[in-house]
Amino acid sequence: MIDKEFILEFYPLFIKGIAITLQIAFWGCLIGIVLGTVSGIILAKRVKILEYLVFFYVTIIRGTPMLIQIAATFYLLTFAGVSISAFWSAIISIGLNSGAYVSQIIVSGVNSVGRGQIEAAKTLGFSNYQIITLIILPQAIRTVLPALGNEFITLVKDSSLASTIGVYELTKQGEIIMSQTFDAPAVYITVGFIYLVITSTIAMGISKLETKLKYHVKR
Amino acid sequence: MLSVKNIIKTFYDKKVLDNVSFNVQPGEIAVLLGRSGVGKSTVLRVLNNLETIDAGSIELNKKDIDFSQVGMLFQDFNLFAHLTVEENVILPLIKVASKSRRAAQKISTNLLAKFGLKDFAQSYPVSLSGGQKQRVALARTLAMNPAVLCLDEPTSALDPTLKTEIAHIIQDLAKQGFIIIITTHDTVLLQQLACTIHLMQHGKIIETATTKELQQSKNKYQKIKKFMDGK
Repeated sequence: MIDKEFILEFYPLFIKGIAITLQIAFWGCLIGIVLGTVSGIILAKRVKILEYLVFFYVTIIRGTPMLIQIAATFYLLTFAGVSISAFWSAIISIGLNSGAYVSQIIVSGVNSVGRGQIEAAKTLGFSNYQIITLIILPQAIRTVLPALGNEFITLVKDSSLASTIGVYELTKQGEIIMSQTFDAPAVYITVGFIYLVITSTIAMGISKLETKLKYHVKR
Repeated sequence: MLSVKNIIKTFYDKKVLDNVSFNVQPGEIAVLLGRSGVGKSTVLRVLNNLETIDAGSIELNKKDIDFSQVGMLFQDFNLFAHLTVEENVILPLIKVASKSRRAAQKISTNLLAKFGLKDFAQSYPVSLSGGQKQRVALARTLAMNPAVLCLDEPTSALDPTLKTEIAHIIQDLAKQGFIIIITTHDTVLLQQLACTIHLMQHGKIIETATTKELQQSKNKYQKIKKFMDGK
């Protein structure tokens, strides 16, 4: 039963879990944005050689389950003698996973910016780097913001898979509480509700940002 | 003087420019006339380094052309959609010409006022009419102070009143000493300009005449006259 006693007794564990989940989501998201943006530009602009490497990376990530990626990253790194905690290993694999999906979103965003604007920028003397950072990306990100929002919401939920390699994030904390209370419904409902609050907050933030940017363009 | 000599451009084995040559003096308006697909726009793209030539040369004042000296007004204007009118004009000045924001704003304010766009400085392109967008694009190009100004089908998106307006602007820019090259198949625009017409067909210039020569001679320049009569 979810009652006052249950909450008072276990809230420190839930708080701990929330903190770990948010940290995984934050770092995973950051790696995903950076890696995804760079990979997306490489794919959209068809940068020689690098585009094949990115294609290979995206194919591997999209073609395998995230659970396997999280486990494989941790065990392969450990096997290779890299001393890394389960927490950071989970962040790396989640970031790598997110980067592959973000790259596809960025490709569609970059392609949505008219070729004419890019040619106009070239004739005005902008360098390729300036064209990407000043003309393409600001517009591409506006276009793909809803899709990026969805990706980050998925990332928060998928961070629960880090529990499989022993990261004490929200889901894992729930499992610990369950082993003490044997009250699966109460734990699952509470954990689910917390995820819902986190993801709804992100969705609201993205939606506000989207409205603000749209207003900016349509005024 | 801009000197285009024997330029050749091939796309997938198709010669789109076949030994095209012409000269344009400062203050002169050169018009590349012809139907769609004869290579007019390719000449402008080559002049702006958007395409490379396979053979020939392009010289400005007897030196290999420096493409930063060439400005282009696109048919679809191609304003940066995420920037205001003022930002569209000042961004290249700040980032490419390394002007201070203040100096860039001064240039922008003067040009926008000249083209009647003072009240639209903080508007976004989406809220402008076709004629206004074109003038913003022109202000953005002129702000970079080019010696050569290329205008690709400048009247294709404009109504008749605005066509007269752009014709006046072009004529005025020529008076200021710009080397102007226009592509068009709009004979109404031609009638409003004092210019040199180069009629193009299959990637070649097949006839050249000034508007004055056209008016003075009865029997010469039949190809251009036929085109202008819509035949």
